[in-house]
Amino acid sequence: MVLVQAIIDGILVGTTYALIGIGFTLIFGVMHKLNLAYASASIAGAFLSLVAWQQFPWLPVPLVFLVAAAGAGALGYVIYLTCFRFIPLKSPLATLMATVGMLIFLDEVVTHISDGKAQNFPGMVPDERWTLGPLDLRVDYLLVFAISVIAMLLLLAVLYRTRLGIATRAVAQQPVAAQLCGISLDRTNAATFVISGVLGGLAGAMIGSSAELLSNLLPLQLTVKGLIVTVIGGLGSIPGAIVAGLLVGAFEKGIETWSVLARDLCVMLLIFVFLVAKPAGIFGKLNVRD
Amino acid sequence: MDYLYGLSQTIGVHTILGLSAYVVLQTGQVSLAQAAFYGVGAYVAAMLTTLWGQNIVVAIAGAAVVSAALAALAGFPALRFKGLMLVVATMALGEAVREFFFNFDFQIAKGNLKVGPAGAEGFRQIRYFFDRGWTTGEVAGFIWLFVAGIMALLWWMDRSRIGAVLRAVGEDELAAQSVGINLTAVKVSAFAIGGAVAGMGGALYAHYTTHIEHNYFGVLTATFAIAYPILGGLGGVFGTLIAVLFVQGFLIYGLPDFIVRLSTLAENELGVTLDWLKQHASDIRNFSFGLLILAIMNWRPRGVIDERVVRLFGRLFAPRSPHA
Repeated sequence: MVLVQAIIDGILVGTTYALIGIGFTLIFGVMHKLNLAYASASIAGAFLSLVAWQQFPWLPVPLVFLVAAAGAGALGYVIYLTCFRFIPLKSPLATLMATVGMLIFLDEVVTHISDGKAQNFPGMVPDERWTLGPLDLRVDYLLVFAISVIAMLLLLAVLYRTRLGIATRAVAQQPVAAQLCGISLDRTNAATFVISGVLGGLAGAMIGSSAELLSNLLPLQLTVKGLIVTVIGGLGSIPGAIVAGLLVGAFEKGIETWSVLARDLCVMLLIFVFLVAKPAGIFGKLNVRD
Repeated sequence: MDYLYGLSQTIGVHTILGLSAYVVLQTGQVSLAQAAFYGVGAYVAAMLTTLWGQNIVVAIAGAAVVSAALAALAGFPALRFKGLMLVVATMALGEAVREFFFNFDFQIAKGNLKVGPAGAEGFRQIRYFFDRGWTTGEVAGFIWLFVAGIMALLWWMDRSRIGAVLRAVGEDELAAQSVGINLTAVKVSAFAIGGAVAGMGGALYAHYTTHIEHNYFGVLTATFAIAYPILGGLGGVFGTLIAVLFVQGFLIYGLPDFIVRLSTLAENELGVTLDWLKQHASDIRNFSFGLLILAIMNWRPRGVIDERVVRLFGRLFAPRSPHA
């Protein structure tokens, strides 16, 4: 029963991993490049909202979340401008390294804001629980789940129901052909970075809120987790990122009931299993070109 | 003076770490596992000298062999992937190795003291140099002996057929394959060479710091390893050395001092007070670190010393041909 409980908690919290994974996957989808600064930009957004909350403690929690989303979205645009816009497409190493530079910079900003230690973050509904038979559900986890699902549905609506979404998918499929149809690569890419940034900021704020703590060590941890989710789900696949996020969340919490120390090691072994048995990821098409 | 020797030790081992990634990057692969091979080398060498009383040279050789073997072993499955997938696969490998050391407990009683790796606490008391009374300068010289040897070897490799093959794979795998190059063999060899170099670097690192911990061998060190050659450029081994000198010597060590001196000079010359600058010198350093990497990559996407610069220098020093 402990295990079932843990797995349910894991799935609920795993939605934040899924959001981060979607962000990585979206950017990879349109640019075919890795944005290593993405997770730290998300956490930096959450820290911006923390600063806002510390300045104005009367701020309601939903507004704090919005600040985080907006901040991370803006950071996404800055990352696009500084790490992708002006570096030639032919130098994939340069963009990778530039995002590493951005990661180090944002990490430093976070360290500076947080004073090098975890900071209190406003919780959504502290200590509220629902009992469902033998299960004991934390309401804030349920809220995290609900908000994430809404955010994902909104994203899918944007991708499949708006002109911007059509442009994004066209660029992901065939950048040159998309350009020939009059789609501006520059604007589409920038929009993708902002959208993924917003999702990441939301995820960062929810991670902080459900623990009521925002750790300064999160950027690196979340980068690793996000990349794992992206690869397990299949590069460029949004449903894959969602499923993989839930899977990794559940797996983590499940292992935690056995041993906290072995948790991260087991997650790494999980990714090895996937890389060997299903290198394309859950939903991805194996594209050996990069 | 001792401080400068200490700094030169750091620069030395970081150069070796960067060179280990340099070999792998030449074949177009981004490996985030270099820190893991570095860590394996550190632990193996430290155990050889501290637990079993081996000579340091034997320990370094042992570290190189074990790291190279691990790299080759890991290389076979990992090299099924390219680009991004490889980045993540090697990162996972690196983290798995780090987690292994986090849980690795193997202590032996030496006299009334227990020595050896102790899980999260790390491996203390690696006193080889200390017990034999080596001075900091001697240790620095010993390290640079290895740096020079490895650089010379890689420089020679670059100019030989091996280097041409590695670069061919890095530039265009399909073209390389169609002229009969065995991709897997080349990539696994590059991985193994990189692993051996990283192992030696780790062995030296373990002995000059005397205390190693699993934390150090994580993603951050792995990122530094690939950062040096990418920043310095893949045109030649000297790019990596220059990048390490710039990052470790200037950015990390020299910059705060530089800011303080510059603002003192400005105060004396211009009669302004720049106390804020002086007080926040190390903060400015921390913030400008990432931004400078960003700026360099925008300015020179192929690194500071790229192939063109190398060719230019080559022409400068080449013997004049009568036709020119």
